Amino acid sequence: MNQHQHPTAELLAYWLDELDEAAAAKIEVHLFECASCSAALQELVRIGDALRRELRSGNVGTVVSAEFVRRLQADGLRIREYTLRPGESVNCTVAPDDDLVISYLHAPLGEVRQVDLVFADFDGGSPHRSAHIPFDAASGVVTVVPPMAVLRAMGHARKRMQLLAVEDASERVLAEYTFNHAPYDALGSGTDF
Amino acid sequence: MNRVLSIVAREIYASPVQYVAETQDDDASLARRIAASDTGAEAEFCRRFAPRIRLFGRKWLRSEAAAADLVQDVLLMALQKLRAGAVRDPERIASFMLGTARQMMVDSRRSSGRRERILDTFPVDLIPDQASATEPLDEQRLRHCLQALPERERAVLVMTFYDDCPADALGKQLGLNAGHVRVIRHRGLDHLRSCMEAEGSQ
Repeated sequence: MNQHQHPTAELLAYWLDELDEAAAAKIEVHLFECASCSAALQELVRIGDALRRELRSGNVGTVVSAEFVRRLQADGLRIREYTLRPGESVNCTVAPDDDLVISYLHAPLGEVRQVDLVFADFDGGSPHRSAHIPFDAASGVVTVVPPMAVLRAMGHARKRMQLLAVEDASERVLAEYTFNHAPYDALGSGTDF
Repeated sequence: MNRVLSIVAREIYASPVQYVAETQDDDASLARRIAASDTGAEAEFCRRFAPRIRLFGRKWLRSEAAAADLVQDVLLMALQKLRAGAVRDPERIASFMLGTARQMMVDSRRSSGRRERILDTFPVDLIPDQASATEPLDEQRLRHCLQALPERERAVLVMTFYDDCPADALGKQLGLNAGHVRVIRHRGLDHLRSCMEAEGSQ
C-alpha cells in the first residue's frame, strides 16, 4: 500500500481545480490508492463544509468582495445591505429573517498597500482592530460582514467603523462611518432602515 | 451479506475522518479474497473504498447526495464483478475502482432499470441518511478558531471554501495574485488546524 503523503497544498489545488489535467489525473489515481492522502483530503473537505455552514448561518464576521456577496444572494441568502460613503452615517437594524447584513464602505483605496478596519463604540468601549483586511483597490469598496449573533444581541447603539491606511510605521484615516443601530422590534412601520 | 454491508455502510459514514486503511490485507489481497468467496473481506473492502469514491463523487458531482449514490453504485458493481471473477488484475483494484467510478459518473444513459437489477442482487441500503454522511466538526471550536485568525486569512478561507473557488478567481476579487492567495490560504489552514488541535487537546 502506498503510504506517500501528498502535501496539503497539492491536495487542495486538486480539489479546487487549480491543476492541469495531467497533474489532476495523477492525484486522482493516487487518491484511490492511498488511504492517508484520501483521509487528508476528506478532512479538508469537512473543514470547508463547516466553514460554509458557519458563513451561511451568520456566525462568521469577515471582509469579503462585492462579487462574493452577489454569489451569496444568488444562493438565496437574504441579505440586508448598507452602502456608506466616507463620513456618512446610516440608521440600521437586523430583521428576524435576515441571513446576513453587509456594509459596503466606499473609500479612496488607490495606492494604499495595507488597510486596517477599526470597530469602535461612541461610549468609550475599547475598539477592535482587524489588521490587513482584504480589499480591491480598483473597486474602492470594502465589504464588511459582521457576525449576526453580535448584531442580534445589540440594543440601541451608535457604532463607528474606521478604515486606516497603514504605510511603514505610519497610518492615516481613510474614512469613517457611523452606524445608528436599533433593534428590529423597536422600529415602527415606515422607518427608513 | 446484507447485514454485513449495512453495518459497513454505517461505519463508513459515521466516522469518515477516523478512517485508517492500515490493516493486515492490502487492497489487492482483499479483492482476491472476495473473488474467492470470502464475504468477510467485502465489509473491509467497502469500508476502505467508500470514502475514496465519495470524495471523487463530491469533487465532480458537487453534491453529497449524488456522491452517496455513486458510492453505492460503484461498490455494488465492484462486488458483483469481483464475485464473478471478472476483475482481471486484482493488483490494480484501485485503478479498476477509479475507472468504474469515472464510467458510472459519465454514463448519462445509465437507466434506473439497470440500477434496480444490481440492487436486486445486493438488496441493501448503502446510502446513509444525510446527517450521518457528514458528521460535523466541533463547530463551536471551529468558530472560536476562525475568529482568532487574522482577518485576511479568515476571508480567504471563507471565500475559498464557500464554493470551492480557485486561487486565480479569488485573487481577481481581492486584488491579489493567485500565488499570494495560495500562500494566505495555506497559512490560514495551518493556523486553523493548529488551533483546532490545540483546543481539542485541552
